[in-house]
Amino acid sequence: MNPMIEQIQSKFPQAVTKIYEHNARRIYVDVKPEHIAAVAGFIYNDLSFRYVIASGIDTPEAIEILYHFSHDSTGLMLSVRAAIADKEKPAIGSLTSVIKGISWIEREIHELLGVDFTGHPNLKHLLLTDDWPQGDYPLRHDNKRK
Amino acid sequence: MTEILVSYFIFPGFLFAAAAGMIASWIDRKVTARVQWRQGPPLMQPFYEIRKLFIKETILPADGSPWLFVLAPFFYLASIVLVADILFLALMNPSLGFVGDLIVVFYLLALPAVASIMGAAASGSPFASIGASREIKLLLGYEVPLFAALLVPVIKSGSISLGDIIIYQQSYGALAGSFSGIIALIVGIMVVQAKMGLVPFDAAEAETEIAGGCQVEYSGPLLALWKLGKMIMLVVGPLFLVIMFWATGGWLILTLKYVALLTVAILIRNTNPRLRIDQAMRFFWGPMFIAALVAVIAAWMGY
Amino acid sequence: MSYAINALTKSLNVFHAACSPCNNCDIEILDAITPRHDVERFGIQLVGSIRHADVLLVTGAVNKKVVHRIKKLYEQAPKPVLVIAVGGCACSEIMFRDSYNTCGPLDKIIPVDLYIPGCPPKPEAMIAGVVKLIQAATKKAGG
Repeated sequence: MNPMIEQIQSKFPQAVTKIYEHNARRIYVDVKPEHIAAVAGFIYNDLSFRYVIASGIDTPEAIEILYHFSHDSTGLMLSVRAAIADKEKPAIGSLTSVIKGISWIEREIHELLGVDFTGHPNLKHLLLTDDWPQGDYPLRHDNKRK
Repeated sequence: MTEILVSYFIFPGFLFAAAAGMIASWIDRKVTARVQWRQGPPLMQPFYEIRKLFIKETILPADGSPWLFVLAPFFYLASIVLVADILFLALMNPSLGFVGDLIVVFYLLALPAVASIMGAAASGSPFASIGASREIKLLLGYEVPLFAALLVPVIKSGSISLGDIIIYQQSYGALAGSFSGIIALIVGIMVVQAKMGLVPFDAAEAETEIAGGCQVEYSGPLLALWKLGKMIMLVVGPLFLVIMFWATGGWLILTLKYVALLTVAILIRNTNPRLRIDQAMRFFWGPMFIAALVAVIAAWMGY
Repeated sequence: MSYAINALTKSLNVFHAACSPCNNCDIEILDAITPRHDVERFGIQLVGSIRHADVLLVTGAVNKKVVHRIKKLYEQAPKPVLVIAVGGCACSEIMFRDSYNTCGPLDKIIPVDLYIPGCPPKPEAMIAGVVKLIQAATKKAGG
């Protein structure tokens, strides 16, 4: 296994639930949502990965948020998946204190999927208009819009 | 009285200067196009643009001063046509000038920039205010070396009359042939580049950055006056330099010299990036002013 | 009237308004002013301010955030102005027609004079479209 992934697993044994290696350069690590700040901070600061983007998806079991990191010198693309099981009121800690540049994508995931990022300094609408109806999350599968 | 009116409005004033300006603007666009490996527009293109603007509607801004908004382009055009008139008359008949008309031209040359600033201030738009503040800074920047560079022909010919400077050069050779003259001419080329609002000194009218700067709110016939004035400025700028530093030869040679200086300006424009306004001011108050001072001292010592 | 159209079409100043497109159409518009196609020889220039514009070139599917801005731009352009919808998204929204954030094709928002479909349309298609517009406008004005 990739030595950096082993470091993550040994440092956060209770947080990491699964490691899936698609190939040598594409690795997915599942962590529990409550530990995401610590794991992301470790990856971003100590292992010096470059933060690329975050993406959210509405799956039948949970709302998953993937945080994509890139290790440019070895070409490794690491995606950290946090699956939020509670689909009524999904919430996860905001990573803006760890990675400043993540603030806008969290706003986007909040307005399109309804995930509440606790501790986010400015959770306003980014892409949707300000008078968008409350509770109407367009990218959820059960959304009534066409 | 009628001869003054004919001279100001027809020849060599408004109509003649406008026609010359359109040809100069066409030369600018054609040379620019050729340098960029393109074809470029046809000869009548500047005229088409002015003509088209007269069929568009005029929109006055809601937050701004309407009368100043309308007055500024007329002021711009009137002052630049007056300068063109004086310069052409001086070339056609050097002995008929009056003492001090060089000073008059120097002050008149600052008026178009002032008109730009007035028009921008009357527009009530933040883009225009940025354009106006940059135009003010640019004006403060280049007037200083311009004044110093203009001292060289004054010292050499011993007169502040355009006609006398021309007559002196036709007897003793062009001022550009002397050490002080060539340095002053180079300073003059840079200053005139800024005066004509061409890259690298067109921060006041930066099209992509501040959406047209001073003229952002102008439309229709008023915009046509700005554009026409700018075209006449393309004539006045290099022509002023030819009169000051290179005024030997008949009218054909003088026209070729004017086209040569215009082409130098166009080539500088096409090969340089735009300077920030603080870089431009530093350029004019630093190297250009020092070079102009060197030229003045050299002229005083007789070189 | 035909004098006005003739005067207008000989020197078209284009203002490019991008309503959050994917930018492919914008790249192709810029291609049209590169030396290979060089539309400046027909008098077509890009301008920075809407008040200087004769043509409002719109790319991208109009979404709810941009719709009042594009209406305002149309009002701010001094008439006569021609509106050109460039690309499939502006003409008819193609795959975004059922999206939660779009407001319908461009002609439901501002009057459109020319549609240039394509994803993205080639610069040759844009030039052909502009020529057709000029011919149609001249014929309508009786020229």
